[in-house]
Amino acid sequence: MDAFDVAVIGAGAIGTSVAYHLCEKGLSVALIDRGDIACGSSSHCDAVALICDKQPGIDTVMGQASIDLYGELSKRFEYDFEYDPKGCLYVCETDAEYEAAEKYVSEQVANGCDMRMAGNEELCEMEPYIAKDLKGGIYTPGTGAIAVSPYKVCYAFVEEAKKLNLRVYTYCKIRKILLNEKTNAVEGIETDQGIIRSNKVINCAGAWAPDVGEMAGLEIPIQPRKGMNLVSEQTERICFHKILEFGYMMSKFDNINFKRNVSPLVEEYNVAFNIEYTKANNLLVGGYRGFRGFDIRSEIEAMKAISERALRFFPCLKDIKCIRSYAGVRPFVKDHLPIVSDVDSVPGFYIAAGHEGDGICFSPITGKLMAQIVTGEETDFDISRLDYARFAG
Amino acid sequence: MSEYFSDDMLVCRCEEITAGEIKRAIAEGARDVTGVKRRVRAGMGLCQGRTCEKLVQQILCAELGLAPDSVGHSSARPPVRPLTFGELAEGVVE
Repeated sequence: MDAFDVAVIGAGAIGTSVAYHLCEKGLSVALIDRGDIACGSSSHCDAVALICDKQPGIDTVMGQASIDLYGELSKRFEYDFEYDPKGCLYVCETDAEYEAAEKYVSEQVANGCDMRMAGNEELCEMEPYIAKDLKGGIYTPGTGAIAVSPYKVCYAFVEEAKKLNLRVYTYCKIRKILLNEKTNAVEGIETDQGIIRSNKVINCAGAWAPDVGEMAGLEIPIQPRKGMNLVSEQTERICFHKILEFGYMMSKFDNINFKRNVSPLVEEYNVAFNIEYTKANNLLVGGYRGFRGFDIRSEIEAMKAISERALRFFPCLKDIKCIRSYAGVRPFVKDHLPIVSDVDSVPGFYIAAGHEGDGICFSPITGKLMAQIVTGEETDFDISRLDYARFAG
Repeated sequence: MSEYFSDDMLVCRCEEITAGEIKRAIAEGARDVTGVKRRVRAGMGLCQGRTCEKLVQQILCAELGLAPDSVGHSSARPPVRPLTFGELAEGVVE
């Protein structure tokens, strides 16, 4: 029988980071996934961590702390996860968008964030291939806007944690969470590879966290939200930052205040343009979000809509080839904040899930915070808004 | 079987990935075609694994002693062949 101080369920960007940070505290840790490392959302997403797509407040505080941690980890880890502080441009199509962006920037700057507005001329200098008629945008330097390979982040956490004696159970299916009959406290996990004993279990199963929660009698309000991107052939560099349209922010938070001048197809698929280059010089072009359950098949109409919108911002894409599309689910929570929390009714059960499109961005800080919660230390900052108890009643 | 795949043999032509790199990905925990692909990019290039997938499957079988039908295949995703973003946007292929 295998016994550990902590068992972590889910080997994606959150679970692998949580497992690593617990190992760092000197605890014995088991990391369990029903498939391979990074086989869910963390290999079906894009590759950036930004502060400039966050709401002011806890959202941005977590983002900045996590980006800072990525910088430290990139120096400390032997495993290369393709850390690239490329910076970000949020581009505005209209004066109304530009004004809203200015307002957003002044609020973020007042909170201590490093970002600023760039006008049309500067934008065209920074991005020579971008459409010439844009109003400008928000520029965030590499201190607040980085790229990483999302699945290599997971592999890196696992490989580094293995040096600290992490035990990995991949392709391991969970059948039951074992709870004490009297106290309801966690005692272990029954899997198809045998029983794993542990008094602490952390549910890092992302969009699948509700299934794990159910095994402990908990209702976890996370829904799968689909996201889709296109991949280009390897090409000479046509973009030099992560670039998004300002409408993306609206699309993300589902409150489109600005009626964009877009086709019915782009409107229907809620497409907001974003683009980035990868280390291998492919381009990732997005994006679309929608609720389709766990169906992650590519949608041809969405591919058309993404391409149409992309040409608006980068006309030269017209002659660049798309070689693949991919889609995955993001763990969506109604208030757009993750759950990073213990659970009063089930002693020893913890949840770190529901990061929607920010799992990669929030990965390092979530691992750090969860390790602090589990060991009873004070967290780096107040995270009461991430408490599971907020859904009670 | 493994002796047929010398470490310097080029398996994925698009991304120039050798059998040795694929074996290392398997040693790191890859158990299927997708696991190899994510770790070393075999099958991520222009042909999307059309050329190398069978070889990757054979290396997986040889290294792990698995049956061919248990090492999976890359998930099928459109477009079936490369299309320009212009063609995609217009829905017309010339």
